[in-house]
Amino acid sequence: MLKRALAIISLLIIGYWLAQGLAGVPFGQDKMLVGQYYLNHVREQTGAVNAVTAVVVNYRGFDTLGEVTVLFIASTGVGALLWRKKRERTAKTEGSVVLKTGAELLFPFIVLFGAYIFIHGHLTPGGGFPGGATIATAFLLLYMAFVGYEIPHRAFEKVEGVAGMGYVLVGLIGLAIGGYFLFDWIWLTWKWGAENIGRLFSAGFIPVIYTLIGIKVGTELSGIIDNMLKEEVGE
Amino acid sequence: MEEASKVSRYLYTLIVLFLIWLALTASLDPQELTFGFILSAIVAAITYPIFTTRGLANLHPKRIAYAIVYVPYFLWAMIMANLDVAYRVLHPKRPIRPGIVHCKTVLKTNPGKLALANSITLTPGTITLDVDCDNYFIHWIWVPDEALTEKEEEHVKAASEKITAPFEKFLKVIFE
Repeated sequence: MLKRALAIISLLIIGYWLAQGLAGVPFGQDKMLVGQYYLNHVREQTGAVNAVTAVVVNYRGFDTLGEVTVLFIASTGVGALLWRKKRERTAKTEGSVVLKTGAELLFPFIVLFGAYIFIHGHLTPGGGFPGGATIATAFLLLYMAFVGYEIPHRAFEKVEGVAGMGYVLVGLIGLAIGGYFLFDWIWLTWKWGAENIGRLFSAGFIPVIYTLIGIKVGTELSGIIDNMLKEEVGE
Repeated sequence: MEEASKVSRYLYTLIVLFLIWLALTASLDPQELTFGFILSAIVAAITYPIFTTRGLANLHPKRIAYAIVYVPYFLWAMIMANLDVAYRVLHPKRPIRPGIVHCKTVLKTNPGKLALANSITLTPGTITLDVDCDNYFIHWIWVPDEALTEKEEEHVKAASEKITAPFEKFLKVIFE
């Protein structure tokens, strides 16, 4: 009781403190310093209509590379923590025919929609991470509906690695052409797609990178799901 | 139910996915069409083995016609069902007589069973609890007198006539 009361009191103090700090920040007023630069120059500098993806992939590309690395480490870490020689799915309850057929029929649509999200990253909200997470959801659905389902491990691990290397490779080509890592060579050097900003084939390397990230995130999260759903079995 | 050839199943998946892509993008920009086709082809190559067992035979004109007619028929049943439930909720005496009944279906394929189960759940105060081969176990908000019998056969017959039969005449053509 005393513990709980103390916790509530300290939370209230912290909350009041944060509220006092935020009270000095006006709401709904123009406080953009760097933001205004992004909004004014995003079209001619990156060719993207979606300013968020342009910032995430072009202006602040290193952060995205870091995020991809974090995800990769998370996946590897789960794999390392749960590593055993012999692990199998030990689920016992088979889903009903309604669940199984529903999962079968929905699976292609979810995968296609995930691909739609990451390919339109420069035009609509979304991008590689939501698209990849959507694709992983499709595999989660199969895992939940079928007792014995497993992703094709070999293919998934290879695709994941190739997609990650592809991202770095695109950045290295930028280094060779433009002089710094993650230089957008497709847009700034080739001017490819410059006449149709706002259509699908535009925005330099954003769609390329987001396709790679989408594939990587999709396979990676599926791998984490696979690792966490399997249990150790005796030899 | 024997499986259709791989080519037929692949093409069917490709066609369905491309139609979905058209609906998603809602544009006829040649860039979107080209890329949508490539993407549908790739996704179809990965997913066709679990998506369909009958392939292009699903696109028989008679089946499509019945499916199109089924939509308004089903929507009408759904509207009446919701009004019926609203009536039961608002009625001062709350006339409910809940019970779980047992129905049998004539449908054989899994997609047909799925469509029937969902149709039942979305209409007149009935919810599908479980499907086991051709047996449906359904929770009914108002079990009528005909189904309140001790004899299993009569019970199944009465319940099936009221619940599954109206949908089956369409679903049988669409999915069998």
